[in-house]
Amino acid sequence: MATDTLGAWRSDGAARWLFIWPAVVLILALSLFPLVASVALSVSKLVFNPGSVDLDFIGFFNYQELLFGREKSHFLGVLKSPTAIGWAILIGTIALAAIAWVRAARSGRVSPVGLALRLVGGIVLAGFVWLLVQTLASEGGRPGSLVVTLIFVFGGILLQLTLGLGLAMLAVQLVPWRRFFRILFLIPLTITPVGVGYMFLMMTDTSKGPFEPLWVALGLRNFTWVTDPWLARLAVIIGDTWQWTPFVFIVLLAALESLDQEVREAALVDGASRWQSFRHITMPALLPVTTTIVLIRIIEGFKIIDMPNILLGGGPGTATQSMTLQAYIDWNTLNLGRSAAIAYLLLILVSVVATVYVSFVRRRVTELA
Amino acid sequence: MSRYRMVAAAIIPILVLTACNSSASPSPSSPAASTPAASTSASAPAAAASQGTKFKGANVNILTFNGPQVAEPLQRRAPDWAKLTGGHVNVVAVGFQTIYDKALLDASTGTNSFDGYVFDPQWMGDFVTPGYLLDLTDREKNDPQLNQQDIVPFFRDYNSVYNGKNYTIPLDGDFHMVYYRSDLLTKDGLKPPATWDDYLTIAQKYNGKDLNGDGQPDYGSCIAKKKGAQSYWWIISVAAGLLQGKGTSDGAFFDTSNMNPLFGKNDAMTLALQTYAKTATFGPPDELNMDVGGSRGLFTTGRCALTMDWGDIGTLTPGTYAQDKTGATITPGWKQVLDRASGKLVPCDATTCPDAVDGVNYAPFGSFGGWSGAINAKAPKANQDAAYDFLSYMSAPAQSGIDVTLGKTGFNPYRTSHFTNTAPWLAAGLSQAATDNYLGAIKTSLDNKNFVLDLRIPQTKQYEQDVLDTAIAQYLAKELDEAGTEQAIADGWNAITDQAGKDKQLAAYVASLGIKK
Amino acid sequence: MRSPFRRRSATDLSPPAKLGAFLILLAWAFIVLFPIYWLFVTSFKTAYDVDKGPFYIPFVDFQPTLSAWRYILFDLGNDTIRPYVNTVIVGLSSSVIALIVGSLAAYALVRFTYRPRVGIVGLFIGSFALATIAAIAGAPPSIAFLSGLAVFLILAQTVGRRFVRAFGNSDIAFWLISQRILPPIAVAVPLYVLFQQVHLLDNIAALILTYVATNLPIVVWLMRDYFASLPRELEESAAVDGASVYRIVRSIVLPISVPGLVATFLIVLIFAWNEFLIALVLTSANAQTMPLQVAAQNATRGPQWWAMSVLIIIMITPVVVMAVALERFITRGILVGALKG
Repeated sequence: MATDTLGAWRSDGAARWLFIWPAVVLILALSLFPLVASVALSVSKLVFNPGSVDLDFIGFFNYQELLFGREKSHFLGVLKSPTAIGWAILIGTIALAAIAWVRAARSGRVSPVGLALRLVGGIVLAGFVWLLVQTLASEGGRPGSLVVTLIFVFGGILLQLTLGLGLAMLAVQLVPWRRFFRILFLIPLTITPVGVGYMFLMMTDTSKGPFEPLWVALGLRNFTWVTDPWLARLAVIIGDTWQWTPFVFIVLLAALESLDQEVREAALVDGASRWQSFRHITMPALLPVTTTIVLIRIIEGFKIIDMPNILLGGGPGTATQSMTLQAYIDWNTLNLGRSAAIAYLLLILVSVVATVYVSFVRRRVTELA
Repeated sequence: MSRYRMVAAAIIPILVLTACNSSASPSPSSPAASTPAASTSASAPAAAASQGTKFKGANVNILTFNGPQVAEPLQRRAPDWAKLTGGHVNVVAVGFQTIYDKALLDASTGTNSFDGYVFDPQWMGDFVTPGYLLDLTDREKNDPQLNQQDIVPFFRDYNSVYNGKNYTIPLDGDFHMVYYRSDLLTKDGLKPPATWDDYLTIAQKYNGKDLNGDGQPDYGSCIAKKKGAQSYWWIISVAAGLLQGKGTSDGAFFDTSNMNPLFGKNDAMTLALQTYAKTATFGPPDELNMDVGGSRGLFTTGRCALTMDWGDIGTLTPGTYAQDKTGATITPGWKQVLDRASGKLVPCDATTCPDAVDGVNYAPFGSFGGWSGAINAKAPKANQDAAYDFLSYMSAPAQSGIDVTLGKTGFNPYRTSHFTNTAPWLAAGLSQAATDNYLGAIKTSLDNKNFVLDLRIPQTKQYEQDVLDTAIAQYLAKELDEAGTEQAIADGWNAITDQAGKDKQLAAYVASLGIKK
Repeated sequence: MRSPFRRRSATDLSPPAKLGAFLILLAWAFIVLFPIYWLFVTSFKTAYDVDKGPFYIPFVDFQPTLSAWRYILFDLGNDTIRPYVNTVIVGLSSSVIALIVGSLAAYALVRFTYRPRVGIVGLFIGSFALATIAAIAGAPPSIAFLSGLAVFLILAQTVGRRFVRAFGNSDIAFWLISQRILPPIAVAVPLYVLFQQVHLLDNIAALILTYVATNLPIVVWLMRDYFASLPRELEESAAVDGASVYRIVRSIVLPISVPGLVATFLIVLIFAWNEFLIALVLTSANAQTMPLQVAAQNATRGPQWWAMSVLIIIMITPVVVMAVALERFITRGILVGALKG
């Protein structure tokens, strides 16, 4: 992000520190200790002895269990050899990544450190696609909570972004009732996530819910979505989208409202089509905010727990069990060590995703702006 | 720069001062080991306590479940108790999922903001071992208000006892029973199911028929199977009759000699799993995501021929379609039992099933154990006495006799007097016939010597709520087959046992099954 | 009568396009409203009504009853009012504080340059981590942390100075937003221990502090983009004229950023209003908030839909009212006035 300092302000030295330190201190105070303590928890086991609680060091046992041991099928999934399509996807991805790397190397604009980082990134990406292919595009493979979370995050964000942007663009126009719409669309976000979960549980109940006559009319009396893993995941994504589209909506709406209309009006008067004005004026101006929203939604989305927990308890089987839900079940049975280990693996995963996203997408985009 | 030096110079004296102070006062991370109040020598509450002033000024915090059940009777009767003794009870009600965490965190970190708990006696393993609960043995024995002898033997001598000592006051009697549509069975001349095969036969007969006259096909059996709810207890009820044959001390979860999980690779488990899965074929299509509220609702609106539940259905039927059409019976058993050495099923006879009735080995499962009161060992003595008195008041026949007849309390019968006095039941809206049938089924279950104790060793939540629940859910969703499920449960349980220390867990398990002298 | 879909200016949509837009918005409005309506209707049902099957219209399909409302508002009485008051206080105060602190930080990140040195930062984290491990291993916390601080200060002058590489503004910003990555359950128990040490358990102050800290990153990131998109010329000319930073912020930046500030405030308020897990762990009797009450309606024997619906309705009402009141600040009109005036 281009930050600009003006000579006239350098003399206001106090403001420099006064503005930033309260935020830094507050966050440091309340985040550093839990961060370190969670690491400690993840490498120990809790023992309740008379008069005290002890943390017995057990090394990386929890991590080993999750990635290679007994919990692997819950966390990573059941890995089987891929089908032909699976191989095709994997090879295709590796090929594309290799080409991109070679191009970056040849261009001469990237430093050796940058190249090394990209190589690592490529390997990590290949690893992920390998995991995805082995669980989703294989015979008898089953996704674990890691893959399920990825499905929720990316499926959800795609829907939320599309809907949120579309609705914001429409709500900015001078249509009748627009104030009513803008206020109404906020409401799903105002409901506590646990409440939204229960609301959707009510709505999707095939025997007591409001759509029951519809199912019966369609001859689906004995139909249920709760036993099908993909329908269950879809239900979670729908609930999640209903709840979070307002977030995208309100932020983009405010951004759209802040845009300088003069340039746009001038362009339209000069004969540009609506699509051109959107593509070349509105969209570039919106891109920074949009990339922020996507980043926030990615970070928040990886933590998804209430919707799958309340709708299905993570079921059927483990089909909708997200990483945070798996950690929550462990936490609830006071297996704090494994719960912290899952949380840390989540932290590493999201940090990697967020870093990649910020370096490649956001920086380019904000430079454009 | 010099700035840093100045600050560093300032820190050092502070450090020294703090070090001096810390050695004087105990550090918070290891709370001062205050010896638990000498509870064994506590005298019984003075019988001649003056009205309204015995606990004047005492402010007691009791942690419990934000029901409305369970919290409701406590909150309703707190003012009455206050009038009698002058003490004030503050009922701190939290969500079901978190009572365990809150109580454990509160006690283990030395916060001690709760004087008493009304919670699941199954958690005793985690609370008694570190010494968080007060020993109530002598108090209960010598308490006329509590009337300990009135409490049914199972709840008195097993459920509230750990390692030979009483730690809880029973407020509720929890165990499973099977409920059936008495009108349908009588019309067709069928007897209530005695074995699980009978259950399946009856379920199959009524599945798909219209059972409540609204023109829609209904279901043969409704058993809630939702993951992450309370469903993991039902499989225990199905399997118990196969796994435990020699009485409560035989135990239904592990082999008492070597801590081998009984819920593992053996024929009994396979049969139990298959039976459990079969009940789903006679149930509503979304049974896999249904919790007890749902199955209860289906039964009371007349849409199920059979269901399995705690005692609540008995008190929930007045005012619904199922009123006076409901019968209750002891949980079905089996005519075979597991031979633990070979892992195979053997027929039930006098040696393998000494408590069998008509050749059927029943094993009513005291699932969850029934909400019970316990006292924080580290609370101030005055608060301990007041909390104990309040809980004893709640359990006393006069109060509990009424509370167990009310569906809204969530409390079910556990005292002999609850059965002999039928007036409150009739007042609650049950007919005489329904009362007799309901109480009769409860009594039959409680009298059975092969009653199954829920798992009460440390980490019980991990065994049941984590490993068992997940494995069963995966089985029902067909992610695992019978062998895979049994393997998953056995491996999971063994891992928990090993991590906690096999000898410790075995000793705890044996202790939890022992009877009080 | 003039058509509501008429074109109002040269750049406005054509009538058919407007109609299309209107219909799409109407469709989404229905999708939003229907579950809420269902919630509303359920709050007037009895348990038996809910179990019997879907009833849609009160008085026509079923007999509405106020029993759930009576239960929540009167029977539970204080157990509903106290969490409600807590939620209001905690939500409003933490959002306002987060907004102020966060917006200033965001402005600073956009207009000033910071270069914290890698060495110093690493050293700080290292000393802190060692102190924490010492505290967990049994050392008295105050000694452990003071020692850590001393170690940091002493070493900072020597080792820390060696590494000249520095972080930049965007690194600080990324660090801020990365605070939100760790799921709350990982930090719940450590936070419990932290607040227990300072005797703030079951106290709304603990909640307010925590929510400010957890929501600050959102404020900073959202306001950063709004501030960055503001035309610099206004601030530059004011600076050249001799205005201090404080003046510039107060008289120029603030009025223009109102849409962004209002949107961010609403979002952060909603996050604090609805937060569940931290409230669950840090409170017991006195500082309970409403989301806990909602979740608690899931009795051990099944969710009480009717009571839950009532709770949700009374929970969202103030937020919706606030959104209605503040919505007009997100509109163009005020903005145009500020720029041109």
